[in-house]
Amino acid sequence: MGKLDGKVACITGGTRSIGRAMAESFVAEGAKVVVNGRNEEKGAACLAEMDAGDNATFYAGDASKQEAVEGLIDFTIEKYGQLDICCLNSGGVQMTAPVAQMTDEEWQLEVDWNLNHVFWGMRRAMNHMIPRESGRIMVTSSVEGKLGKPGIPGYAATKHAVNGLVKAAAQEVGTLGITVNSILPGLIETDIVRETGPDSADAMGLEGGYDALIEMFSSESAIKRPNTVEEVAAVALFLASDAARNMTGVMFPVDGGTMPY
Amino acid sequence: MGALEGRVACITGGTRGIGRATAEAFLREGAKVVINGRSPEKGAATLEEIGAGDDLHYIAGDVKQRSDCEAIVNGTVDKFGKIDILFANAGGASNHAPVVDLTDDAMQDSMLWNYWHTFWAMQTALKHMIPQESGRIITMSSVEGKVGKPGISIYVAAKHAINGLTKSAAQEVGTMGITVNSVCPGAIETDIMTAEGPAAAESMGLTYDGLLDMFAQESAIKRLNDVSDVAEVCVLLASDAGAGITGSMISIDGGTSPY
Repeated sequence: MGKLDGKVACITGGTRSIGRAMAESFVAEGAKVVVNGRNEEKGAACLAEMDAGDNATFYAGDASKQEAVEGLIDFTIEKYGQLDICCLNSGGVQMTAPVAQMTDEEWQLEVDWNLNHVFWGMRRAMNHMIPRESGRIMVTSSVEGKLGKPGIPGYAATKHAVNGLVKAAAQEVGTLGITVNSILPGLIETDIVRETGPDSADAMGLEGGYDALIEMFSSESAIKRPNTVEEVAAVALFLASDAARNMTGVMFPVDGGTMPY
Repeated sequence: MGALEGRVACITGGTRGIGRATAEAFLREGAKVVINGRSPEKGAATLEEIGAGDDLHYIAGDVKQRSDCEAIVNGTVDKFGKIDILFANAGGASNHAPVVDLTDDAMQDSMLWNYWHTFWAMQTALKHMIPQESGRIITMSSVEGKVGKPGISIYVAAKHAINGLTKSAAQEVGTMGITVNSVCPGAIETDIMTAEGPAAAESMGLTYDGLLDMFAQESAIKRLNDVSDVAEVCVLLASDAGAGITGSMISIDGGTSPY
């Protein structure tokens, strides 16, 4: 008997890294899962690698676009008949820069990708969950949702914003059997970090580039290493399970002792 | 295969309430567990009620005494050969009063019961965990370890102190495979709450029912938490999956704490 038997989950940005680890842990505990990503080929590869048969499905869409996020929620309900767990996990930066050099285009992308996507997904999911009086919504925030580093102002601002959204939403639906929490990972060497990390390191003024970025985050933690996707997935699984029915409005750290609170 | 197969855990104050629920959750996940309490009769009754045979052991001791804290932790190693998990769970407070009327004895007792006990047990456990380069320490804080209410400053101060100790210790042993975290539950109607709650309520200018209702109303879920809520978080923190979580103060309070 799995911890998520009979449950249905959807995960934005679920083909690789954190979202993928969440998907695999959910399926292993009996859930049916829809994973989302922009790239059809990555989606097909993800499904093949997961080898979960009818229990995993891919939905193509850009999580920074409203129609894609809402489409994922609607597709999940249509495909599996319900939505119990909504993981708003996608996010990142493309060409980050210090505030003085930040372009409007990058700023708008980060707001859409990291904040608006969470709002769009949460609202759509709640409209399904509130009548059922049951649900789990979790948002992948970041240590940057409590701290702030130079060179990534949009990321820090939007991750702070989603934490505020989570806290307010948790209060709104607290008596309706719906929990709303955020998970705050420290640095993890995900695909998106590998892709955009070198540019982010430049924007942050780190002379050693990508390696210096990894070293800086690691050295700020107590464990002196990056976190892992499995560590985040374990918390996501816990928050999705019945055992966490009374945990809401929490900003759950998975950061090896980096944040001061 | 349980999440804590082959692990040995020590829980201070484990005969009732949160400690008892955590002991049962640890046993379910395959650990061997030592529980503690002051009363050998309660200890014997708990062992019988849980019925876990040789996997569960009781050590009597008063956590307000350093020697007893050391004996509980070292006794765990003597019994089961090692200690992988310490849950410094015991705590409470008596003789509440507003700060202006507070006695030294009341503050001293709360600090012994909550803070000193946690320090003594943690220090003793670390002496075993550091050489083996692995371990999990979980301290019992509270929503009152993050916020403060009038009339219960002895409890609030001690629980804040535990969070500070937890954060510092986590930094000290972070590269040694040892994590140190606190759990911060909202109000739960445990035995200790039933025993001490009425006096705390009076110090806060409330009835006992009013106290419980106040805590429930401050949460998002508008009800009290349950001992099993805390036990399941302890399983997560104690498991391999919790290796990347340290120095954290995990709220289990139905959305009460602001951070």
